[in-house]
Amino acid sequence: MYSVGWVKKKMTSEKKQTGGSLLFDVLQQHGVEHVFGYPGGAIMPIYDALTDSDIQHFLCRHEQGAAFSAVGYARAAGKVGVCFATSGPGATNLITGLADALADSIPIVAITGQVATSVMGSDAFQEIDIFGLSLACTKHSFQVTDINDLEKVLHQAFAIALEGRQGPVLVDIPKDIQIAHVVSQGSVVSTLKNKVNLPPANVGSAIAMLCHAKQPILYVGGGVGMANAVDELRDFIDITHIPSVSTLKGLGAISPDNENYLGMLGMHGTKAANLAVQESDLLVVVGARFDDRVTGKLTEFAPNAKVIHFDIDTAEINKRRAADSAILGDLKTNLPALAIPLEIKGWQQKCQQMKADFAWDYNHPGSTIFAPAVLKELSDKMPLNSCVTTDVGQHQMWAAQHMSFDHPSNFLTSAGMGTMGFGLPAAIGAQVSRPTDCIITVSGDGSIMMNVQELSTIKRFQLPVKIVLIDNAKLGMVRQWQDLFFEGRLSETDLSDNPDFVMLANAFDIKAKQISSKAEVSGAIEEMLAHNGPYLLQVKIDAADNVWPLVPPNTANDKMMEST
Amino acid sequence: MNHYQLLIKADDKQVVLERILQVARYRGFLIEGIKARVNTGTNIGTIELMVRSERPISLLVDQINKLIDIKDVKVDKNTTQ
Ligand SMILES: Cc1ncc(C[n+]2csc(CCOP(=O)(O)OP(=O)(O)O)c2C)c(N)n1
Ligand SMILES: [Mg+2]
Repeated sequence: MYSVGWVKKKMTSEKKQTGGSLLFDVLQQHGVEHVFGYPGGAIMPIYDALTDSDIQHFLCRHEQGAAFSAVGYARAAGKVGVCFATSGPGATNLITGLADALADSIPIVAITGQVATSVMGSDAFQEIDIFGLSLACTKHSFQVTDINDLEKVLHQAFAIALEGRQGPVLVDIPKDIQIAHVVSQGSVVSTLKNKVNLPPANVGSAIAMLCHAKQPILYVGGGVGMANAVDELRDFIDITHIPSVSTLKGLGAISPDNENYLGMLGMHGTKAANLAVQESDLLVVVGARFDDRVTGKLTEFAPNAKVIHFDIDTAEINKRRAADSAILGDLKTNLPALAIPLEIKGWQQKCQQMKADFAWDYNHPGSTIFAPAVLKELSDKMPLNSCVTTDVGQHQMWAAQHMSFDHPSNFLTSAGMGTMGFGLPAAIGAQVSRPTDCIITVSGDGSIMMNVQELSTIKRFQLPVKIVLIDNAKLGMVRQWQDLFFEGRLSETDLSDNPDFVMLANAFDIKAKQISSKAEVSGAIEEMLAHNGPYLLQVKIDAADNVWPLVPPNTANDKMMEST
Repeated sequence: MNHYQLLIKADDKQVVLERILQVARYRGFLIEGIKARVNTGTNIGTIELMVRSERPISLLVDQINKLIDIKDVKVDKNTTQ
């Protein structure tokens, strides 16, 4: 299990260890090299201990930025992301990031300073009950009130973040605990027991269902990437040749070149994916959870399909759609058990025909820039192993539809929570974890302003992040809904008074360029990708452009709108 | 409306009751009664939770089971209708 190297080190050294320095020792034992954070009064002893540590700290310019950078780091590298914040406002600023990590099952460990135990509960300066606040937005949380618990708790935090369905863990450490000297030298091995004893998967009935299915569809979610089971999934696809669709968070798990892959399903899914799912007689669901953005009207989702549901989380089985067969546990071991050749030639051909018939159309009249075409070209030109993050809105859906990813760790988007402000700090985290890969964030003129202060972090650490700003001078996605579902009554979605984004980027020593006509697109993409440092490309588009197709709310997925 | 009684065993942590109540409320189960005590010898807390909901009880059981400090959750069949 866990190495106890630091105990030996401590016993040979004269220096008494404090809670603060113990924290860094445990982080190092878990392979942590980088943390994102922001200091303040109640976390000062930890920041003092930081100066003696080999761990590199990235000062963000808002705790929300630190939390999202930890999320981006975790998702891009497949490691635990770590962030620090002080008590009170520092801690509350982390909450949106924790919620985001909970919704997308991302392993991060958040360390918060707390006021000293002697004044806890007295409405002390910068005291907030972050432990209480954490209950709804973390997988688990701890408050350490005895220095001799600190080490065990920190080990447990990492174990819990990673075991089973991954997620965020918060550890709240009062200031006196950070200063206190460690006295106990007892066993430090984590006592965490593996509570979830999953029964051996019953694959017999699932195999029978799969053999009998005439029109099966593989519905892939974010769980595949989280379980590190991309290879097993692709083997399954190679053996079965089953037509497949992906959720937003699943993008990259299925090879985009696979002839039977129909793209994303759901509200902004491809027509082929949604029609095939609606017609299917069997859904093989892998690491997905029937999210409402995926199913549309739940009672009319894949109405004739039986369901085989693979997941690590028992609570997802039968939560929104009953499973005819549930295969609980690790996808890596369970997927191969169902990989058998299928006799579904006719269905494959039908799906391939739909894929061809409803392929994207990039013809777009006039000289104004067509965002889908820009993102397609960017996707074709970006180097191998590029990692793309997005913000939330129309640009996010266009990126999901028109860019291709060969691994889930190369497409980081706030899927479950849909959090504007995610893209820029997530790209910073991704760049820190993968310094030699090209990291691109596709953002919107609304979203970028939500964590715009992180341009400072890019400047400070000279991170070569590429920012593609799709600028419609609108909260475009909300504007689209106002036009379609609120009789065109526009309310608070105009952003025509946005700052000059080129000037803004330049103020942070970031090279920037604005383009507004089709003729400029290719040159600008090439210039940005060739540039060594950070770069912001502002792409002006028509404010009236919409994302298509769109399944209206509470509607079956085959009744998508394709234009106004 | 269905009425259920759950018997929950958990590590004796101050926060465990809060976690259970939060999950029950969030998942759509109205709390009709609660009884909780701790065995100081074993440090195991026992919580009896009476809830009502239109939703199937398996939903709440699965979610409470996911809480890290929970050791066991049982539905008392007698009260289920
Ligand atoms: C933090 C947060 N606040 C509000 C929303 C609601 N929302 C979803 S999309 C959107 C508009 C985003 O505008 P922009 O970033 O310019 O993207 P566009 O849709 O124009 O491409 C808003 C306000 C959200 N998702 N997240
Ligand atoms: Mg916009």
